[in-house]
This record gives sequence, structure tokens and C-alpha cells, in this order.
Amino acid sequence: MPARQDSPWYKSAVIYQVHVRAFYDSNGDGIGDFQGLAQKLDYLKDLGVDAIWLMPFFPSPLRDDGYDISDYTSVHPSYGNLEDVKKFLTAAHERQIRVIVEMVLNHTSDQHPWFQESRSSQDNPRRDWYVWSETDNRYKGTRIIFLDAEMSNWAWDPISKSYYWHRFFSHQPDLNYDNPTVREQMWNVMRFWLDLGVDGFRLDAVPYLVEREGTSCENLPETHDIIKDLRKKLDRDYPGRLLLAEANQWPADLRPYFGDGDEFHMAFHFPLMPRMFMALKLEDRKPITEILQQTPEIPASCQWALFLRNHDELTLEMVTDIERDYMYDSYALDKAMRINLGIRRRLAPLLDNDRRRIELMNGMLMSLPGTPIIYYGDEIGMGDNVKLGDRNGVRTPMQWSGGWNGGFSAADPESLYVPLLLNPVYGFQAVNVLSQKRSEHSLLSWMQRIIQVRRSTPVFGTGSIDFLYPANYRVLAYVRELRNETILVVNNLSSSAQAVELDLSKYKGRIPIEMFGKNLFPRIGSSPYLLTLGPYQFFWFRLRRI
Amino acid sequence: MAEESVLNDDFIRQLMNVGEVDLLVGLPTHNNAETVGRVIQAIQAGILKCFPRERTAILNVDGGSKDETPDVVMAASINDLRRTHNAYALRTLPSISTRYAGSPSSETSLHTLLAASDLLRAKACVVISPESINIEPEWVGSLLLPVYRGNVDFVAPVYRRTRFEGMLVSNVVYPMIRALYGQKIREPYPADFGFSGRFGNEFLAQHSWHNESGQFGTELEMVLSAVGGNRRIGQTFLGLKSRSEQHPADLVAAMRQTVGVLLASMEVKFPDWTATHDVTAPPTNGPEYEVTLEPVRVNKKRLKQMFAAGVSELAPVLQSILTPPTLKSLKQIADLDGEAFRYPAELWAKTVYEFAASHHKSVMSRDHIVQALVPLYRGRALTFLVENRTASAEQVEANVEALCHEFERLKPYLVELWNGGK
Repeated sequence: MPARQDSPWYKSAVIYQVHVRAFYDSNGDGIGDFQGLAQKLDYLKDLGVDAIWLMPFFPSPLRDDGYDISDYTSVHPSYGNLEDVKKFLTAAHERQIRVIVEMVLNHTSDQHPWFQESRSSQDNPRRDWYVWSETDNRYKGTRIIFLDAEMSNWAWDPISKSYYWHRFFSHQPDLNYDNPTVREQMWNVMRFWLDLGVDGFRLDAVPYLVEREGTSCENLPETHDIIKDLRKKLDRDYPGRLLLAEANQWPADLRPYFGDGDEFHMAFHFPLMPRMFMALKLEDRKPITEILQQTPEIPASCQWALFLRNHDELTLEMVTDIERDYMYDSYALDKAMRINLGIRRRLAPLLDNDRRRIELMNGMLMSLPGTPIIYYGDEIGMGDNVKLGDRNGVRTPMQWSGGWNGGFSAADPESLYVPLLLNPVYGFQAVNVLSQKRSEHSLLSWMQRIIQVRRSTPVFGTGSIDFLYPANYRVLAYVRELRNETILVVNNLSSSAQAVELDLSKYKGRIPIEMFGKNLFPRIGSSPYLLTLGPYQFFWFRLRRI
Repeated sequence: MAEESVLNDDFIRQLMNVGEVDLLVGLPTHNNAETVGRVIQAIQAGILKCFPRERTAILNVDGGSKDETPDVVMAASINDLRRTHNAYALRTLPSISTRYAGSPSSETSLHTLLAASDLLRAKACVVISPESINIEPEWVGSLLLPVYRGNVDFVAPVYRRTRFEGMLVSNVVYPMIRALYGQKIREPYPADFGFSGRFGNEFLAQHSWHNESGQFGTELEMVLSAVGGNRRIGQTFLGLKSRSEQHPADLVAAMRQTVGVLLASMEVKFPDWTATHDVTAPPTNGPEYEVTLEPVRVNKKRLKQMFAAGVSELAPVLQSILTPPTLKSLKQIADLDGEAFRYPAELWAKTVYEFAASHHKSVMSRDHIVQALVPLYRGRALTFLVENRTASAEQVEANVEALCHEFERLKPYLVELWNGGK
């Protein structure tokens, strides 16, 4: 395992997001587990990832895919036990792979003993661990997040005959962070896992920790105070560990979560992701350049987390109405593909399984400023199943081979936690790791290659970015620089070949070397540098001064 | 040797950067810096509101402005529209500008626009006048939607006019096109109009382009190509058409650009206009006409003098153009005193038709024939002014309609003259 106090490892990392349940079933019960995940670590090592982000694996009624936790210091029995987790952490660290775990601070399951005690009587010692009210009229200015499922942020509890506050499903009551005991207890939970060896937390739903009348109950100063306190303790007791924020907000609203480098190390750049899809469909760089222009500077030690797809819907909360309509019409004409304010589809189906578009999107993911996060299965182009309800269609078992249950499990197919994909395009017989490993030209091999190229330089992780604005707006071009290393990235967002003239006069005399094939291109002169790009083609050039 | 092209290398480079578009907006300019800023903002807002998803480009074709008009066009930013028009851009809305050599020419600017449309594979185009100071963003949609979403090939505007505005159109061009081609096009010489990329490409290929300085009237030729080619035509009401200033009337030039073009086109379109018998109104979005009744000061005496002088001084010329009965009638009315003067609709229609036939037969220089109509038109204009001085909007329209009926009734007379009779 690398030293804990090295330079910010997360800035040059490639992170792989996986659900234990979905990756590999070692005991043949139809559900993935920690032992299975440990067995597949070499696959992830070969892929080139530096860290794994695990979705919730705690005991849970699983009414929200594990985000409804009923015990913070244990493991859901389907996935193994604490001993399995320890072994997994050791095995990952032996392979120089860090492990980030999901931590749901904002709420628990209503089955959590804390809530059961809290609701049991008005004078229970844990009564004040949750947000209770005699009326459902408080915090009226607060939006409802799960519009498809919830009518209110208050739910009536027939046992204690009062309302409790919940920002997500009604079976997920919010913890009361005005109570110092709750804050202390949650830090103890984090300590528990840090002591086991986890390298960081992805903190779920952080904007919603605190409620105040007359506000949106999001991004409140008191929430930032709580984060600062957690960070202080983390740095003091566990230096080098990571806090990653899940805060689906506009960049300007997200910026405070970095503080002065004393809150989160990383935060997801939610508004960028839908705009990358939008730019591709529009064949126009405007959505990307516009949102990145609006993205404020962040402290040097901090980093954006970038992603194309994840376990949730492709969220369209951070777009305008006109953009949302366009996205729905472009990527989710079938209403079954829509959920809440988003689209429940994986990367490959969103891009019509077009290899060129998949590569271009991954190329941008790997070269824009931030740390890329790959959602499991997207590296082989897995599909989805919108018939499965909620967001389960993008959480189907990993497809390892064309054999029994796609190599995921030895169980009877009926026992799998959700059915495998079987269709002729995305089914496990067509799309699987084993077959793609055999081909140098498979998507998997290509993903390995691009990760390798990204890792060959620190520029992508930590370098500056300067956008070029060639007159051809179908081309997105930018220069990444770090100290004396310069990389030029040119992306053709169009389905047709494009010619583009780039003003590279600042780099006159340098020789562009294409980073995948290492071939030389004509030296940069005083005139605009002319490039031609095929449909959805992109170039990464190292601009060498020789 | 390289072939001559209306498109210079810099413009080609700009087109390359724009790439394929769905919609193209043409903005021909010449010294319009005072008004073009508002026009370009309205165009941009109109595109954002009506066509937020479509790939659209704005093309400024400038005839050598000395007042930095192209700079004003290129400086207009869609970012300002969020504040001024509450319009948000989903995609880039590129503006490009090119300048052609020589003096302003509607032929060259339209040629440039059509060539660009062809290269960019635009599905629909619109031309907007840079002088339309009262333009609203809705104009863009009104002119483009019937083409882009419907299957119309040419959309002509309908404006709210004052009753004596555009008399050359209402007394010659409109009634004659209506009689010849059976189409009621209220603005056959439009400053703002829309057309399909398909029709634009055909016109580009078929038209004989000269690209000479000072050539105007190509818009009318495009209308004639549409009506003569059985294209699907539509009209759309845009409201009041205000211009920044009233241009001093050069009636000879105006006559060349309208009647001259119309008469010349009759040659190649003979099979079309002789085969047309019925008159129909194209589908119109909004009212088919609207007339306002602002008072107007007219020097009737001067008009009458110019008419009478023309009849007298051009007698040898008119003798070659007109039939003896018509010439005789003209001389008779030229002798009438002020209030008694009338240039009846029937006589006017016959006059115009006889000019058309003489133009066809080239009894003299065709340009001289067109110029010779100018003093006679002044007489007809005087009659129109007098007849409608106190008329209501409906009466004005009824008078125009009556004139049109005369042109339609006398169409066999034209055909006979054309074929050598009389």
C-alpha cells in the first residue's frame, strides 16, 4: 500500500464504482459478495484503476438499494462479514488499490434501531436523534427530491403520532444533526471503518444534513460546519484519507463544499455530466464549455470527480427546462427510461452502442480536469434493463463470460438478485469480459489502453486547462499544462468528419506527438494549425519542445 | 485557371466552420449600422424561441458598408438575450459575415446566400431586411415555420401598409402577377421572405447570375420562379413594416427592378403564364392584407404635369409601344383638367399589357420601354391617390381588387398582342 502522506493520490487516480452485490458471487447464492470482489481484484488491477468506490454494503432492508442503512458497523449478511471486508481491504491494498466506501450520513433506514427507539416515545433518549414535528407545515421552502414517489418531505408516524422529516423516501428518516450526540455517533461510525483500513468515504446527500425554517434546507452554513469538523478529525487522526461529496448542485453552490481546502477533498461535478451527453447530441461544444466556464476555481488540494454514468439515473436536475426536454427527447424517448428527473440508462445504450461515441465520451472523461470514475460494466459496454423498476436496470450482474449466469454466479438463474441481461445486443453472451480480453480491439482493451495513457502523465489529474475556441464549434479543444508538460486535446463532437484550425501560436515550434500511437505530427508554426478529424474522433497530443 | 466564384476563400473557411445547418438566416446589409443591431438581436431571439434545437447560422452579406455594419452584426451576442428576451441558447448560434466587391447588389447578396445555403445543406432559409426597425422575434418563426415544418417552398410576407405605400406594387406588379400566374402574392418584391433549401438550390442552378454592381430585383425573380414553377407558396402576416428612413424615390430604378424584371421573366415563363386561368390566394397565416389610413400630402398638379409632359414628349416612343387606340386615349386624358383627370383601370391594364408585348417584341431597347412607362405610371398613381383619398381600408382594397380584375379580364388581350395580333 502506498504511503498515506504522499501527494494527493486522488487527483491522479482512476476510480471504479462497483456494488459488491453485482460484481461476483463466490458462494453461489445468487448475490455478489466481498470474497467474490476480492477474487476479481486482479481484473481491476489490469484495467488500471487506482481506487474502488463501494456502494452501501451495510445491513439494510434494501428498499433503496442499501442507502437505507439499519446498522452502520456491520456487513449485510448477503455480502459476507467484517472478516471478509478486512481480507478484501488487505488484498486491494496489496495491489495498490485504495477502497472508498459509501457513507450515508443524512438518514437511516426506518428499521434502524436508533429510529425504532426514537419513535417509541416522546421522551426516549434517542427521540431527538431524528427531526420530529407536530405539524407537516415546517420547512415549506424545501423541494421534494423523489418526485415520482413522495408527496411531502414529512411522513406521519402512527406510533409516536407525529411527523418525521425525510428528504428521500419516507422509509429513510433524516438524522438530526443539530444534536451533538448524533454528530459524535456518526464520527464514531466513520472511525470504525477507517480503523479497518478504508481509504475514504463517499458521503451521500451531504447538502441536506441541517434544516432551517425559511430556507431551502440545502447547503446551509451549519452543514458546512459539520463537514469541517469531520475533516478536521479525519486529517488529525487519519491523514491521507479522502472525503468525497455527493452534492447534486450547481458548481457555484458546490464550491463551498471544498471550503479553503478544509471540507471535502473531492466533489462530483454533476452538471457537467448531462452536458457532455447534450454536447454530443447537439454536436456542439457549447454545453461543456459553458458549464466549465461557470465552474469556479477550487483549492489546489481539491479535485472534481467526473463520471459518465453511475448507479443512479442520469440526473437532469442541474439543467434548464429546455435542456431537460432536449435530453429526454434525445436519450429517453421511451418514457420507461425516465425516472424522477433523469434517465435510467447505462452508457452504451445511451450512445446507441456506438463504439466511436463511447470512446469519445471516455476520452473526454479521462482528459477533462478531474478524477474519472468508471461505473462497473461500462468498460465492456454493458446494457441495461428498464423493465426492472426503479434504477435496478443499471445494477444488473457483471458479465464475466458467456457461460452459466455470465460467469457471475453458480446459482440457479432464478436465484440471482436480479436477472442478467439476455438480449442479443447487450446480453452476457454478446458482451462479457472473457471475450473482450481475447481481442486487442475490444472496448475493454481500449479502456485499459486509455487509462494507461492517462496514467502516463500527471497532467490530466493536476494540470491546468485552457480552452481553445476554434471557429468550428463542433470541435472541443483544450490544452492541459503542468509545469513544462503540455497536452493538447481535440475532440470532434460531430458525426461527420471535421476540419478545424487551432490557434497554437503560443506553442510555435513545438512538435505534436499523438499519445496513443506516439506518431509525430507537423511542427506548429505561426499559421493556424489545421487538423482533420473523423466522426467522433479525438486526439491527445503531447506538445514536445525539442 | 481557377474558376470565378462568388465565394472567396475566407468565406469558404467560415462556412467550413459552420458546417451543415438546418436553418440559414440571410442578412443583406449596406450601411445599416444604426438599425442592424436591433434586427440581429430580434433574429437571434426568434431563433432561440422558435428553433432552439435546430442547427442555425446567421449570414451577413455586406455590400461594402462604410459604417462598420458587419462589426455590429458580429458583435451581437446571444448571451445578452437572456436579459433582453428571456431566451436561452441550447446550442451555438454562429454568425458569419462576408463582403462582396463593387456596389450594393441584391443579386450578388442573394447569390451568395443561396450558394452558402447549398454548401451548408440548409433545409430552410430566411432573408431579413436590416432596415426593419420594428422587427419582432416572431418574424423569424413566421417566415420559416411553414417551410421547415410544413412543405411550403416560398413564404412571402404580408405587411400592414399605409394605403399609398407601395403603389408600384399595388398598381402593376401585384395585379399583373395575379393575372399571369393566378397567385395573389401581396408582396411580390419582398424584403423579408423564407424559402426551402430545395427551392433555393434550384433557383441557384437555374438562374443566370451576372453579379454586376447595382443589380436589384432578384427577390422578385425568385418569387416569379416560385409562382411560375408551381411551387407551394405561403404568406405570413408580419404586421407593420417600418423602415429607418424613407428612401428618396428613384422611380426609374424602381421601375427597372420591378416591371423590368417582371416583363423580362415573361419570356421564359410564357408556357406557364399562358396556361394559368384561375386565381387563388396562397395559404396565409394571419390577415391577407391590412391597410392604415394615414393622411398623405400629394402634389397632384405636379404629378399631372409630369404625366402630360411624358405623353407629349415621349409620343414617338409611345407610338412604337402602344396601339393607336390606347395612345389616343392617353392623349385625351392628358388634356383633362386637374379634378377631371382619371386614368381608368381598364386603360391602365391595356397600357401595361401593350408595354409587355412591345417588350417581348423588342420594338426598341427594352430598357427604354421600361423607362417610358414611368410618366404613364405617374398618371395612374395620381388616379389611385385621388380615388382613395377619402376611402376606407375596405374601399382601398376594393379598388385594388377592381384593378386586378381588369388585368385578369384583359389577359386574353395580352396573349393576343404577344402572339402578334393587333
